Amino acid sequence: MDITIEWDRDWKEQFLERLERDGPWASWELYDLAFETAQHLTIPQFDGLQAPKHLPNLTILPHQYEVAKQVVEEMNGKAILADEVGLGKTIEAGLILKEYMIRGLVKKVLILVPASLVSQWVKELNEKFFIPAVPQKKSYVWEQCDIVVSSIDTAKKSPHREIIYAQNYDMVIIDEAHKLKNNKTKNYEFVQHLKKKFCLLLTATPIQNRIEEIFHLVSLLKPGHLGNVNHFQEKYGKMRSLNEDEHLKTLIRKVMIRNRRNDTGIEWKKRKVETIFIDFSPEERALYEAIQQLKREPLLSGDHSLSLITLLREACSSREAVFFTLKAMLDRSPSSSSQIESLIEKIQAATRNAKAEKALELIQQINDKVIIFTEYRATQLYLQWFLQQHGISSVPFRGGFKRSKKDWMKELFEQRIQVLIATEAGGEGINLQFCNHLINYDLPWNPMRLEQRIGRIHRLGQTKDVHIYNFAVRNTVEEHIFTLLYEKIRLFERVIGELDDILIKFQSKPFAEHLEHIIFHSQNEGEMRIKMENLTEILSQTRGETRAAT
Amino acid sequence: MQQHNIQHFLERFFAANHCPILEKDKGYVKVQLTAEMDKQLTNRPFYWHYIERIGAVGEPMALTFITDPALSVDGEKIHFGSPRLHQIFATTKKLGRFIRLYEQVTEKSIPLHPWLNVNMHISYQCDRKQDRLLSLGIHLISGTIVESFYDIVKEKRWDTKIPDYCFTISPLIKPANGFARLEKYVEEQIAKDDHSWANEAKKRWEEDLLLLDHFYETEEEKPEGYYNEKEALRQRYEPKTIVSIINGGLFYLQPK
Repeated sequence: MDITIEWDRDWKEQFLERLERDGPWASWELYDLAFETAQHLTIPQFDGLQAPKHLPNLTILPHQYEVAKQVVEEMNGKAILADEVGLGKTIEAGLILKEYMIRGLVKKVLILVPASLVSQWVKELNEKFFIPAVPQKKSYVWEQCDIVVSSIDTAKKSPHREIIYAQNYDMVIIDEAHKLKNNKTKNYEFVQHLKKKFCLLLTATPIQNRIEEIFHLVSLLKPGHLGNVNHFQEKYGKMRSLNEDEHLKTLIRKVMIRNRRNDTGIEWKKRKVETIFIDFSPEERALYEAIQQLKREPLLSGDHSLSLITLLREACSSREAVFFTLKAMLDRSPSSSSQIESLIEKIQAATRNAKAEKALELIQQINDKVIIFTEYRATQLYLQWFLQQHGISSVPFRGGFKRSKKDWMKELFEQRIQVLIATEAGGEGINLQFCNHLINYDLPWNPMRLEQRIGRIHRLGQTKDVHIYNFAVRNTVEEHIFTLLYEKIRLFERVIGELDDILIKFQSKPFAEHLEHIIFHSQNEGEMRIKMENLTEILSQTRGETRAAT
Repeated sequence: MQQHNIQHFLERFFAANHCPILEKDKGYVKVQLTAEMDKQLTNRPFYWHYIERIGAVGEPMALTFITDPALSVDGEKIHFGSPRLHQIFATTKKLGRFIRLYEQVTEKSIPLHPWLNVNMHISYQCDRKQDRLLSLGIHLISGTIVESFYDIVKEKRWDTKIPDYCFTISPLIKPANGFARLEKYVEEQIAKDDHSWANEAKKRWEEDLLLLDHFYETEEEKPEGYYNEKEALRQRYEPKTIVSIINGGLFYLQPK
């Protein structure tokens, strides 16, 4: 076949000119160094990465190498890295960045990560990859440093935003990129505006509820890759799984790589899951029943069902959580004060917290580091106080903490304190593999979030088996959810990747809405049970399908 | 290139450019730049312009390069892939591009034969890349072409001045002509090569085009996004061969 050859003729002309003018000529040493440089920068094969040769002390796992290679060779540096939690997406991203830097294709880099992970990214890039990344601290850093790590919340604010928009980035890396699934948010708009040649989006959960989410993520990397949004929705919006359309699957594979734990061939530490059912104290039960009554005598207008379910779930967590919500309601509609006041009386009577007592007992028995996850900030505060009363000190962890505070809390927990109490927002972006006990004090309704929680400790680098303790209060909404999600479909044992398929099956409504609907609209326990069982049935079918498909 | 190789490279680079090494230890090196090197590396053209305008003597900077990131020394961390090292690589290539060297022989009255040497970088590019270095030398008397010429000259001692009591033979083939012969030689070599890579790239390109069309098949008037994506595919897959020249020049060599 015809191969066109592009010659660089510039050298010849300059050489002949020098011959005529008799110089200037370089020394042997410089000639030798120049040729040696060329040897270093030569890519001898079509396949394979250069970076590992220059990183002799870094252990690169086979799946990580494959991901980096595929991104560089087949995806042209635009990819969604969607390995399951804990498979080392940071290492993959570092390797890709290093490879492009070695090839001289990348110089200016912006890395956006959750605030709690900024210093960890900086540290890993410097120590593992010899990449001189710096955390963004002063606004001049954007312009003066080549490789900057920052939180997206800082970056998108003025005056930073304007400075960043003016930069031409060779590469942008975004960790926890599932936050960009909605194209109507400020974050999405911000990332869309960045001038970028290469881009990596890291997320363990590329699709949380709807199939369009993947459309928006892909559009950040390659606008037009999946056609336009209306056409896409029309054609694929009703699909229950990516696997249903070969074209879509093929095209997604060109921009997304997803490894599952089981594919990696790595020996994972075991997950030991224990369910602990708890009985309310009589006073707690009374409070719960009183809230339940509200179903019949509507107390609030508008988002009634949502508020009711929130209150029920909060009652399973702590009376403090219920109190917070009630107080907010009272501020909004003072007219319903008599009903709320009677609830507040019930709250005052419920002085014992059966769950907290159980947690205390368990912590004492474990006698090692423990992480407690709760959905509610009020519960977090209460637990801290409660444990303190029994001589156990703990540190809180929340999404809203400043970076330095998060680092400090993690440090304290690692070095000195037995218990860390985290809220949901703290669940992402903190790596705690030095701890191997986790209490799910209350359970999130989106199983993906649960996986994010567990991923904090069940990840590469964990040296012990991981113990997960799930708390659920008997005869409450919690028990229903638990039985459904976490027992019947054996969520804890399943491979997380299957969840994508399952959740997409419910894409007409987010999964949590299905649950809320059942709980709120069922007339009695019996009806609720039947509906729950139906849902379970559908879920198990999906499971069978995905099994059969793989 | 590992961190200790980088340090060794830096030491050689600065020595070759007459920059004294002020301090060094395992993991770092501090060098005093010359004015020339300062202009190459520190990116402060206004300063040098100003100094020259007022006729003063400039003060070149001293730089510290750290190759072991664990050291707490003030200076620049440097690694394979860091912009600074790329800059030094680029400077090396720029400064070492043209030579005329004479073999340092010990015997007297030896005729030195002219060879034209060209070191080149041949790159096959599509969505992937493969490079090859070729070091060619042509004897400017007989027209003989030798591969791996660099390996031959690396074993000998060289200087930019002709050794005492030796003389050079004038080329029968003019350097420009010698260069043309090397070009022809390279083109023949490339033509003989296996180019299944290019066919495979075209196949991948066509597949991607089909897939893209599928996503826009319902639209009669194709939007801009479609054409952008199509152009991106061309840039990515179109096979080409690029020959660039690293360095070379005249070597006056003792006949075997």
